[in-house]
Amino acid sequence: MAPSKKKHASSKPCIIPGGFTVLSLQFSPDSAAQHQLFVKEHKVRAEKSSGRPLDRTLFVLNVPPYCSEAVVKKLFSQFGSVQSVELRDHPGSSKESGPKLSKFFRAADKKGFNVGYIVFQSSASVSAAKSHPHDVPLVVCTELHPVRTGVQKWIQEYTQSFVQPDKLQQIVDSFMEGYDKRKEEEAERQRKEAEQQQEDEEGWVKVTRGHKGAKARPHTEAANQRTLQKEMRKKKRKELMNFYTWQHRNTQKEHIADLRKKFEEDKQKIALLRVQRKFRPY
Amino acid sequence: MKKKQAVAEDKVEMIPPESSQEEQGGEAPVKAKRSKTEEVVYHPVKLSRSDLYRPPTAEELSQLKEAESLFHCSLLKMQMEELLKEIALSERRKQHIDSFIQTVTNLLQTVPESPEVEVSDLSWLSGAVKVPFLLVPKTTKGKFHMAPPASVDLIGSYPLGTCTKPRIMVDLAVTIPADVLHPKDVINQRYPRKRALYLAGLAQYLTSSSDIGTMRYSCLHGNRLRPVLLLTPPGKDSSSFSIRVHACPPPGFFRPSRFHPQRNNIRIEWYTELQASKSERIDPPTPHYNSSVLGDLLPRAHLQFLCAISSQCSSFANGVALLKVWLRQRELEQGTGCFSGFLASMLLAYLLTTHRISNTMTAYQLLRNSLNFLASTDLTVNGISLARDPDFTAPSLAEFHSAFQVVFVDPSGHLNLCADMTACTYKQLQHEASVSMQFWDNPTVDGFHSLLMTPKPMMRTSDHVFQLCELVKLQSSCKKLNLLSELMDHSGNYIHTVLPFILSLLQQGLGQRIRLLTHSLSPDPEWSVESDAPKHRDQPPLSFGLLLEPELAASVLERGPPADSPKASEFRQLWGSRSELRRFQDSTITEAVVWDAKTMCQKRLIPRQIITHLLQLHADIPESCVRYVGSMVDDVIKTGNEVHSTGEEESLLVVQSYDDLSRKLWRLEGLPLSITAVQGAHPALRYTQVFPPLPMKPDYSFFDREKTTRSLVPKEGKPCPAYVTPIKVICHMEGSGKWPHNALAIRHIRTAFHIRLGELLKKNHNYTCRPCPTHLDVWKDGLVFRIQVAYHREPQVLRESVNAEGLLVVRDNEEVQALEMATIHKPLLTSTLHGLQQQHPCFGAVCRLAKRWLGAQLFSEHITEDTADLLVASLFLHPAPFTPPGSPQVGFLRFLHLLSSFDWRNNPLIVNLNSQLTAADYTEIKNTFMGSRESLPVMFIATPKDKTLSMWTKQAPTVQILQRVVVVAAECLKLLEHQLMDSSQIHDIRVIMRPPLDAYDVLIHLNPKQVPLLSQAVDPPTVTFSRGVMTGGVGKSGGALPVIDYNPVSLYLEELREAFGDLALFFCDPYGGTVIAVLWKPKAFIPVPFKTSQASARSIEVTGEEVNTVPNVKAILEDFQIMGEGLVKSVEARTEKWSF
Repeated sequence: MAPSKKKHASSKPCIIPGGFTVLSLQFSPDSAAQHQLFVKEHKVRAEKSSGRPLDRTLFVLNVPPYCSEAVVKKLFSQFGSVQSVELRDHPGSSKESGPKLSKFFRAADKKGFNVGYIVFQSSASVSAAKSHPHDVPLVVCTELHPVRTGVQKWIQEYTQSFVQPDKLQQIVDSFMEGYDKRKEEEAERQRKEAEQQQEDEEGWVKVTRGHKGAKARPHTEAANQRTLQKEMRKKKRKELMNFYTWQHRNTQKEHIADLRKKFEEDKQKIALLRVQRKFRPY
Repeated sequence: MKKKQAVAEDKVEMIPPESSQEEQGGEAPVKAKRSKTEEVVYHPVKLSRSDLYRPPTAEELSQLKEAESLFHCSLLKMQMEELLKEIALSERRKQHIDSFIQTVTNLLQTVPESPEVEVSDLSWLSGAVKVPFLLVPKTTKGKFHMAPPASVDLIGSYPLGTCTKPRIMVDLAVTIPADVLHPKDVINQRYPRKRALYLAGLAQYLTSSSDIGTMRYSCLHGNRLRPVLLLTPPGKDSSSFSIRVHACPPPGFFRPSRFHPQRNNIRIEWYTELQASKSERIDPPTPHYNSSVLGDLLPRAHLQFLCAISSQCSSFANGVALLKVWLRQRELEQGTGCFSGFLASMLLAYLLTTHRISNTMTAYQLLRNSLNFLASTDLTVNGISLARDPDFTAPSLAEFHSAFQVVFVDPSGHLNLCADMTACTYKQLQHEASVSMQFWDNPTVDGFHSLLMTPKPMMRTSDHVFQLCELVKLQSSCKKLNLLSELMDHSGNYIHTVLPFILSLLQQGLGQRIRLLTHSLSPDPEWSVESDAPKHRDQPPLSFGLLLEPELAASVLERGPPADSPKASEFRQLWGSRSELRRFQDSTITEAVVWDAKTMCQKRLIPRQIITHLLQLHADIPESCVRYVGSMVDDVIKTGNEVHSTGEEESLLVVQSYDDLSRKLWRLEGLPLSITAVQGAHPALRYTQVFPPLPMKPDYSFFDREKTTRSLVPKEGKPCPAYVTPIKVICHMEGSGKWPHNALAIRHIRTAFHIRLGELLKKNHNYTCRPCPTHLDVWKDGLVFRIQVAYHREPQVLRESVNAEGLLVVRDNEEVQALEMATIHKPLLTSTLHGLQQQHPCFGAVCRLAKRWLGAQLFSEHITEDTADLLVASLFLHPAPFTPPGSPQVGFLRFLHLLSSFDWRNNPLIVNLNSQLTAADYTEIKNTFMGSRESLPVMFIATPKDKTLSMWTKQAPTVQILQRVVVVAAECLKLLEHQLMDSSQIHDIRVIMRPPLDAYDVLIHLNPKQVPLLSQAVDPPTVTFSRGVMTGGVGKSGGALPVIDYNPVSLYLEELREAFGDLALFFCDPYGGTVIAVLWKPKAFIPVPFKTSQASARSIEVTGEEVNTVPNVKAILEDFQIMGEGLVKSVEARTEKWSF
């Protein structure tokens, strides 16, 4: 393969109004059909996060399911050395931070079409990718770097899903250790906060938001609801329902209204059924 | 004074709103009609305040009160009124009928006279018209000539006003003039023959008239002695009604006492045409012949009687109409020995005259009371009589009972109205009536719908059905049973002669095994006037239905009396050579018959063995004549190779192995927390897995080995190994303060539990285990159990989150729902349905048939296993108007009927598991359903634990799929019932399992080598592959872990759905299907502007500044091939419509 040579021979890159460059991609050299990748430099105002430096990151849309991160890395290294590849099922900010999880505990990778964030070593590679001509397709599976799909891939996945129990136990243990530590730290922090609220030598108490013992604001939604209902019930209990004659008359009126309403409802149901010919027994 | 005036004014004011209300009422139907073309949707009623609270009038009050107190609710009253409207004859139709009657009467009056000839001389008839009579024996004495009728009268339901749609029959009695007949004509079929000749004469005259459409012969209730002439009006409404012309003798022409059931009117010498050596044999009585002649004498008297009754009771006609609808839905109102509409009105008359019902009752009450009477009275033992003061010549009830099976004597006291009815038919009627009463009293059942609106064809009512084909063979059974005199009584109709004997024989033989034996009523034959009367053997086959007693029907042993008891010889006589002496464990020695059957599916067919044996032995009916349709559909879930089995035994093995595992789990020691519950959560553990997992023994040489754990993994290049189903088991752990309050941490702790459980099971029982973060696989008895540890507070932890203000909020999300489904709802459903299986032994089989069908029709993804099981459960829990299914086949038929006929749009399907729902719950569910119909799943199934959400059908099916299911189910039901009932050719039952593939856009053909469940395909595959399974005993424990849950087809489908789910739907039969059908979603193919969130698998089209995207079909089709490398054989794009 000599992409550089072809590049000269071909026409201009295809750039569509959205600012995206269209690259074509085919699975193997002799494939008949091509997918279209849409690439653009990564540009987001709000995000200044670590993983995606603005000048060196390429944003790719429509990455086919058989392109894993490794495959994408290899595909794009023709434009310059790739630092990292991140595949996501939809565009968005990078993953929230949390304790590092082993692969067995992470959510399964999406197998559909992805969007990719490719971070190059240098920003020149981004523009190189963007100026790649439309009619020179990227090829996923070559003889040098075969990509497994179908039965081969499934067998491989099945084989790789095995893990030694003791290794798994280690993972669990180390996670739990970390968890306990975090929890302890948290407890420590809370204890310190509580300590701050103790009397100091001079007898002063630093007053912050409510402390133990004081009647605090209910802090769950359910509790909020409960208090509200309690109030309502109290109000209701105080009311007398059958005291005045008009109240008595009202209940009777309500009863007849109920009957009428039911009658009307039934009538409507019947009308509906009649329209649907539901009364023809045969 | 002033006050009074005010009141009067009030009244005046009250009138206008009243009238406006009426106007509204009048408008409503018009509106409804208008909306018919549009969408028919239920909107909650909104009455304005003034409407609701206006002062009531006395009339309105009483109307509301009546509706409230008389009926379950006023809805039922209205439903009945609407139903009556539907079946009543319109005024226009009546005018039509009246004018046609007038024409026919006028025509009949002008029949010309003809010269007198011998009865046997038919030369006066032109060849164009035949005599509607089977002339056996040929000769009769007597003279005959045509003459205009003495009178032409309307009789039957039409003048009485009880005539209903459809099949409107107007009966016209034509009185034969007295000089044509002779008082002695009663003897030797002379009168019936003359009557037939007279009808033929009428027919010949009428053929020349243009005022008459078609003319056919028929006979009254299948009695060949009583032919009738059917006339239809000419022109387009020829099929709308027909006139039935009866020929009758002049009233009082014969003395009724001649027709005493113990008298003889057919002489043996004449009938056998043998001069029977002047034997002193007394001619036997001929009750059936007598009653058929007598029946002709009385119709006018009956009409008078009924008219008198109905004039007293205002709702008589409506009551009869309802009863007729009820009978017709049960196929009891037509054919030989039926309970006709005439009998229904006679029954009501009886109840009125005996004051069991009063004249003021409504139609609804009449129906209810007559059903109650039928349910509680046995006319086969205690006959009833309408005769007030019969004359002394009238026979007594006892005499009637000795001659007939069912006794209901008419007002004259001479005629048994139920002469042709068999005891079985009456028992069926009684059974239906009592079942109907039960449903009616049950507030949770829609009585109206189940009693009057649902048809009950025999195929869907009886658990087993068999047919007697080749009815000619019954002639020889007449001989074998020595029934000459009965044959003579039935004038040669050997079918009806033998029928009662066969029925009692079967009843005796099947005994405790059945609850009810029913038989089809042979329909009235109809033939054109130009052809000869059809022979008896041309009748359609007789069908018999069995309602099985579930506990006893499948027992292999028929235990008789002790060897020395006098009854032993009777027993031996009944069973013939099959009866043998046996010694039992309680040391008694008795006669016994043992049927040979090993598996459940063979045991279910023991009634068939009994029936064929008895019919062969006693009635000379060869086995080839008996067409048993009890279990034809079961074939599709048959598994075993050597011994036929429908999987009950295999399921039992799985359940036993699970029970053992659960016991062992309970006993494990050394776990940090104790186990609080072990629950199965897999269809195999409730006997409803279509193909229950089979214990298997892997052939190690067929597989590769994984490096570290030495487990088996599939080898590249070999066929896909046999599929091993992981059987899901949920193991609940004790709650404790040690459990962390964090979702991630819980997951890690759970993993630790899996590891620990695996270690313990390995140490104590030597089971090979494989712990994973989500589950633990245990290899035991050749099966794989997938244990998942659950912690009851985990859903709660997942729900909680702290929002920005520090408030703890509890919110449902998908993850929680999935978890609760897996750890709470599925185990609960499994145990509940397991209980249902214990009550109804064929529940599992019905579920499996139903799911096999759903799978074969490519619907499994949309109607999930749990949904299907619930649907089937509803058939067992709410069988109305049937009884719970007693065989897989009838259950399956009802499943198809439920799918095709249930009104999912307007009704929730309520499955009252464990009868936990009360009537109040039912109304509550219905109301909430109606209130928020739009936002609820299209297929709404409510259970006691899930009244408002229908969680099982939340995801699927969609409206379109459900519509398709309904259509396909209706089509399959029609086809299947036809095939089961039609004995004329050999059918392929599997037709209903082959889906129509022409509706799909792309077909992906799979390589059978890589389809592990190939052997479960509907049509057994032509090639089989070695799949690494060894025959022979299965190891209890130990051994390398087999390849678990590895199915390339489902992996492929999963990838396809994930990648192209928003562009297309993928359908596949999970049980060995080798085709994946793809349907493009039309919406996805509309070009849309380019968006970053919607670019998957799409290509762009640039036109100026606008960028639109459409699916890149060419690349997608290639992706199908690439993603299924090795599995996909070919991708066939069938439609060109998307490849622009």
